[in-house]
Amino acid sequence: MKQETLESMVLDIKEKSELMVDLSYSSLLYNNTTIAKEVYDLEEHIDHLFERLHHDLFEEVKKENISVKTAQVLLKLAKAGEEIADAAREIADVQLRDVELHPILKLSIRESDEILTKIHVKKESMLCGKTLGELKLGTETGMIVIAMRHNRRWLYAPTKKTCIDADDILFAKGPEDGEAHLIKLAEGRTDKL
Amino acid sequence: MKKEKQAKSLLGRLQRTPQWKKEEFTEIEYEPTSVKELLTEMKDISELIIDLAYSALLFNSTEMAEEVKFLEVRMDKLNYDIRIMAMMAARTKEDAEQLAGILQIAQAAEKISNTAGDIIVLMKLKPKGVLPRILKNADEQLFRIQVSDQSRACSQEIGSLKIESETGMRIIAIRRKNCWIYSPQSHNTIQANDILIARGNDEEFITLRDFLLGKQEELE
Repeated sequence: MKQETLESMVLDIKEKSELMVDLSYSSLLYNNTTIAKEVYDLEEHIDHLFERLHHDLFEEVKKENISVKTAQVLLKLAKAGEEIADAAREIADVQLRDVELHPILKLSIRESDEILTKIHVKKESMLCGKTLGELKLGTETGMIVIAMRHNRRWLYAPTKKTCIDADDILFAKGPEDGEAHLIKLAEGRTDKL
Repeated sequence: MKKEKQAKSLLGRLQRTPQWKKEEFTEIEYEPTSVKELLTEMKDISELIIDLAYSALLFNSTEMAEEVKFLEVRMDKLNYDIRIMAMMAARTKEDAEQLAGILQIAQAAEKISNTAGDIIVLMKLKPKGVLPRILKNADEQLFRIQVSDQSRACSQEIGSLKIESETGMRIIAIRRKNCWIYSPQSHNTIQANDILIARGNDEEFITLRDFLLGKQEELE
């Protein structure tokens, strides 16, 4: 196995674990158990990835394809991601418990630096029928779509090819003024990106 | 009240690299702050600290690594304070159940900051090349850029420039002479010769870079 493949596994763990943290906070903010359960699934997925990476790294070191030091660095980076994923699962766990959330929780999440938001796309919105790649919402509004409900299905970490349609629900994160802009776009109150 | 303000202003404050060792060995004293403020700060730190740890590694900055250690120690203290506040707030079994959820989240935020501490330990291994190669393929990367005195951004507030909503780039830290501002807030300004550490994708970075170098007058 190439070192590149191992490195891309580490990156996969890093990116998924960071997505999980955003998802877990969103699940609390919007009392959304579907998202919380997705965090559980992702955590299991990351555990598998981590186990596989662990195994493959030993193999490659044994074959002397990579140095012990490189293997150590890769393993530690992956371990960090795995721990973040665990933490995200603990956050999601609070949502899945049969206890009403303390009102302070939502306030704290809402008041922190990065805003998480849930937006309903109306049919008169200019976002309809366009892909995320075309829209470049990140560059235009600062908001990154972390999950969405599309055609009665949930999509997590949507890609550039993902298309937005009327009645989709977007979960996004970004700055406060970006949120206002995205809401206007989704409600069809502005067409200006 | 005064203490609350101090805690709030920890992020977005111009500071020298703190003496974190001193903080670690001071006896922990309980300071009354609201559970909400404690939790907000913990969430903010847990988000900043991971990017900061990767930046320290990527740009080989011992100062950023020191800040990670400092924040990690601060998190321990916040976690301690929030436990006490929660215990004092519980009057009934229902209260206790709800507050247990809050403590679980605080614990998770603390765990994330401990992970950041583990990441910076990698600096000793000198992982030359490995991390930049991994991060190069990420959607969102970490960038470092110096502000030119020709840029219209100079002496402007970050809030009024709307950097994040106009470009998608999130500023993690600013280095000004030998001081730092971590997680700059909207009232913080950008000055000529500041070095910005920011997170975002390639395309977003080019927009921000051209603006900060004075090649672009406006962020459209």
